[in-house]
Amino acid sequence: MTERKGPRARLGPSPTLAVLFLLPALLLLGVWMVYPVIYSIFRSLYDATGERFVGLGNYGSIFTDSATLTTIRNNIIWVVVAPLVVTVLGLIFAVLTERIRWATAFKLVLFMPMAVSLLAAGVIFRLVYEQDPDKGVANAVLTTVHDTFSAGQGYPGARPRENDQSPAVAQQDGTVTVRQPARPGQAVLIPLVGLPPDSVKDAPPATAVAPADGVAADAIGGTVWLDVVRGGGGTVNQVDPQEKGLAGITVEAVSDGQVKATTETAADGTFHLTGLPAGSYTVRLPQSNFAAPFNGLTWLGPTLITPAIIGAYIWVWAGFAMVLIAAGLSAVPRDALEAARIDGATEWQVFRRITVPLLAPVLLVVFVTMVINVLKVFDLVFIIAPGSVQPQANVIALEMWRVSFGGGNNQGMGSALAIFLLVLVVPFMIFNIRRFRRDER
Amino acid sequence: MMRKLPIPIALLALAAVACGGNSGGNSGGEPAVGQTSASSGGGDAAAAAKPLDGVTIEVAAKWTGDEQANFEQVLKAFQDKTGATVTYASTGEDTGAFLGPRIQGNNPPDVAILPQPGLVQQYADENALKPLTPEVQAQIDQNYTPYWKELGSANGQVYGVLVKAAHKSLIWYRQQAFDDAGAQEAATWDDLVKNAQLLADSGTPPFALCGASGWTLTDLFENVYLSSAGPENYDKLSKHEIPWTDPTVTTALEKMAQIFGKKEFLLGGASGALQTDFPTCVTQVYGQKKAAMVIEADFVAGAAAQSGAKVGEDAKAMAFPKVGDTEPVVLGGDIAVALKDSKGAMALLEFLASKEGGEIWAKLPGYLSPNRNVSPDNYPNELTKQLAQTIISAGEAVRYDMSDLAPSAFGGTDGKGEWKDLQDFLRDPSDVKGAQKKLEADAAKAFKK
Amino acid sequence: MTTVAAEPRQQAAGIERGLAGRLLDRIGGGVVQVFLVLVAVFWLVPTLGLLVVSMRDDTANNSSGWWTFFTKPAQITFENYSNLLTSGFTSSFWNTILITVPATLLIIFIAAMAAYAFAWIEFPGRDTVFLLVIALLVVPIQIALIPIAKLYGTFGIFGSIVSVVLFHVAFGLPFAIFLLRNFFVGIPRELLEAARMDGAPEWRIFATVVFPLAKPAVASLGIFQFLWVWNDLLVALVFADTQNQPMTKALQSQMRQFGTNVDILAPGAFLSLIIPLVLFFAFQRYFVQGLLAGSVK
Repeated sequence: MTERKGPRARLGPSPTLAVLFLLPALLLLGVWMVYPVIYSIFRSLYDATGERFVGLGNYGSIFTDSATLTTIRNNIIWVVVAPLVVTVLGLIFAVLTERIRWATAFKLVLFMPMAVSLLAAGVIFRLVYEQDPDKGVANAVLTTVHDTFSAGQGYPGARPRENDQSPAVAQQDGTVTVRQPARPGQAVLIPLVGLPPDSVKDAPPATAVAPADGVAADAIGGTVWLDVVRGGGGTVNQVDPQEKGLAGITVEAVSDGQVKATTETAADGTFHLTGLPAGSYTVRLPQSNFAAPFNGLTWLGPTLITPAIIGAYIWVWAGFAMVLIAAGLSAVPRDALEAARIDGATEWQVFRRITVPLLAPVLLVVFVTMVINVLKVFDLVFIIAPGSVQPQANVIALEMWRVSFGGGNNQGMGSALAIFLLVLVVPFMIFNIRRFRRDER
Repeated sequence: MMRKLPIPIALLALAAVACGGNSGGNSGGEPAVGQTSASSGGGDAAAAAKPLDGVTIEVAAKWTGDEQANFEQVLKAFQDKTGATVTYASTGEDTGAFLGPRIQGNNPPDVAILPQPGLVQQYADENALKPLTPEVQAQIDQNYTPYWKELGSANGQVYGVLVKAAHKSLIWYRQQAFDDAGAQEAATWDDLVKNAQLLADSGTPPFALCGASGWTLTDLFENVYLSSAGPENYDKLSKHEIPWTDPTVTTALEKMAQIFGKKEFLLGGASGALQTDFPTCVTQVYGQKKAAMVIEADFVAGAAAQSGAKVGEDAKAMAFPKVGDTEPVVLGGDIAVALKDSKGAMALLEFLASKEGGEIWAKLPGYLSPNRNVSPDNYPNELTKQLAQTIISAGEAVRYDMSDLAPSAFGGTDGKGEWKDLQDFLRDPSDVKGAQKKLEADAAKAFKK
Repeated sequence: MTTVAAEPRQQAAGIERGLAGRLLDRIGGGVVQVFLVLVAVFWLVPTLGLLVVSMRDDTANNSSGWWTFFTKPAQITFENYSNLLTSGFTSSFWNTILITVPATLLIIFIAAMAAYAFAWIEFPGRDTVFLLVIALLVVPIQIALIPIAKLYGTFGIFGSIVSVVLFHVAFGLPFAIFLLRNFFVGIPRELLEAARMDGAPEWRIFATVVFPLAKPAVASLGIFQFLWVWNDLLVALVFADTQNQPMTKALQSQMRQFGTNVDILAPGAFLSLIIPLVLFFAFQRYFVQGLLAGSVK
């Protein structure tokens, strides 16, 4: 500093001064960023202990180990899906908000998740994705929507007892058929189990239909009832006094693969299939009686886990894309749009032919920023995926942490994964540099 | 939380069987008890003469919530006694992930409580553990059977003190569900399956499996295996001396498939079970009352009580039924090790290994001591008293949790090795051979290192 | 999209397309409104869920969905919060502040100095060094975890607050330098020349001329860094030990018993996002500016 005393009218300070201004930053960048890159390159060539040189062995195992291959596959899914969806949604929202008065409020709402930590976002979405429709809002909405369109008022879970004595047997497709074919004038018993007795507490007791009780000559009678006594006991396959009839069950009489008669059980579980010519019939209860209630989707199961986490990611980042694109949109010359509209272009044509091309640079920036960000995704996967499906949801950044610190303690492999991650972002490094150079010119 | 509790009949039976089976082991142990009760007083006096004013000790364990609060009471007793300041750190589920970077960064906690003996070996190999001082070893020799001492050792060196035991051969059930279905406690596996069918028929899914917590599945396997294949095979499989493709493993997995394979046996089916972690499965049985049984260790009691069930009345436990000829008793435990060579660390370990430390802890709920000099009278209820007896008199057929003895990459890591393979087996229980192949491949990889 | 018609204010176009066109505009406008309302609800519901869950006790959360609070508001309780505040969680709150505030200030100060040099001091290799900084913009944090853990171990600062702060400062610098330098080059050259003519020393020009002018940029940078550091989990997970852990790590260690730990996780997560949200709403103008300056240059 002392060398610069006095009014030496030479414009611009001496280069040595730059060193002073740059020193803290360069020191930090050098030690915390440049040195680690070099260190990691060397470390990745050694095994877990750091003592044995393994050459490119660690990189080899990245591409041969099935667990790591899953992480790479997941990263590819992420990179293909997430940035595109975020950018497209951002574009749609940005264009549409131009048409509403409460655009600022809308933007704030969508932008808000940016301020929330990914950990908190993870906790939020663990709650959203809870399997139980009584807890998770996603499945609550799905089941409500589903139930309004198909009212399933049957007996899910009810089934015949699993043994050879049971008169009825469940087929592969869930249909319950009576073992012995029946003839008109006969009565059949169809005992079912698998429901809590309390669920039909208020039903009247089941009545056994006997041929003597007036089963018409052209009819097959019978009873469908819950063959379970609270606390156990009762005679299996017999209608006991405490046992309740199952009302409203559809019963069919089938002969030669054709339904000849259909009826529903009465409150006490009895039914009469009437109008049957003489012959042998199979009595069956169609599967629709037992359709399991729709319980929503298994969001956090192995198949949906990655899409589910990507959903959370979109929730966090769509606002970011929208704000950037909206800013780009405000810079689009209105005259061009007006001119096109006056020429009779539809709104869709204006959007596709003029707005999007003019926005292309912004869209590209948003897209690239998202790709870089997606490659490093860690927190959301770590928090949202339950332990048992984490292998299916795993991504490179998380695997790197797991391998090096999460119990594995294999820092050779960890370094290799870190370098691999670095290599993946190098194209974007070059993209940034070229963009900067172009802008400076 | 757990007040005075009536004795569940099942546990009496369990204790009776365990005691009967262990009479050989007991007679060998008894003189040792006499020996030590005299000298343990000396140990206490020595500890009291060591004030650690101004010394701070950090201890890390995976406990949270009530378990943490109870342990902190023990720590407080140590602080009052020595003047040291002890801070507790929760490691979360994955203790390895907590300690890994701390060890790398040369800044481990003074004492860590490892949930698996397998980790003792691993950290010993990494030279991260400090051998116990003669004072601590003396406490161990006084208070523990050689079997327990062995579990804390690696490469011929004693590193750890087993501070907390778990009794894993239990099946907890909800009395109401059993009453409704007319189900009974089961003495054999076939009985259990029959009763499960009874429960399913009555509309209550018999089992709430905690499939998302892989260790609950390994515990189940271990009980089935120990009972069906016998203790000798169990030891061999533990050390990977027989492969996982062995026919004994086939038998055990086929037995498990009798439960896994029936949709109506599992609450939410296999996919529901795989999303349920421990202790959510306990809540499902006792809180939401959606299922009848949960297969896990003594510590279910704490979670059951939290769900509002009265342990011993609503929530009862039965001994794990016999699958083959052996009455299975599988134990687990947490091992305290020193990661720093500090005076405070050793003093704390000495305290935890002592009769005094064990008895403070024993008075709190949810704890079983492997310390044979901790008098059973200290336990807050009969249930724990009985279980503690079984543990201390570890007999012929009593075995330590197999997965915890294995390298942690195989037996103790979320999403890896045995945890994952058994979860996959739960997903597809028809493929026994495939599951065995995967288990063998993972075991071979982990044991080779 | 095709149904979306022209904006109402496009009067000229509207008239030309006649009545039918205008009707379509109306309907289209209504569809857009409804659609955006739905989107907004979609974005709000998850956070609302967290808030409500955090204010219901365990039994309520286990037995029914949080949305039942609309019909039964009586289930709301602050017990979870009071439990949380009397537990060890408060110390992690202070840790978060102890990490975030110094990290933010240091980044601003160090980056501003460097950015000044890049913008206004001629020195050989300036462009090359600056390109290096731009290259570092995208370097993933993962690359430094292992080497820096070793380094911290050697110097015995592993686990400390300082170690976490320094890590954040270093990884925040490329973006901060980039953003401030772009702002600084936009400052009229005459202002600096004048000051230099007056013989003011360079550090004083920096402190009294350039830095004050850059207030908006500094504000947006500050917001950004604050949120970034406040919300970080990975760095804390590796480098902070238990006494020094911020809220994110403290909460993460509670994740294991998700189902039954909601009474800690939900209020904890909500507390952790209050301050960022307040800051966000207070300074959202700068936030957006920062985004624009940093990304769409």
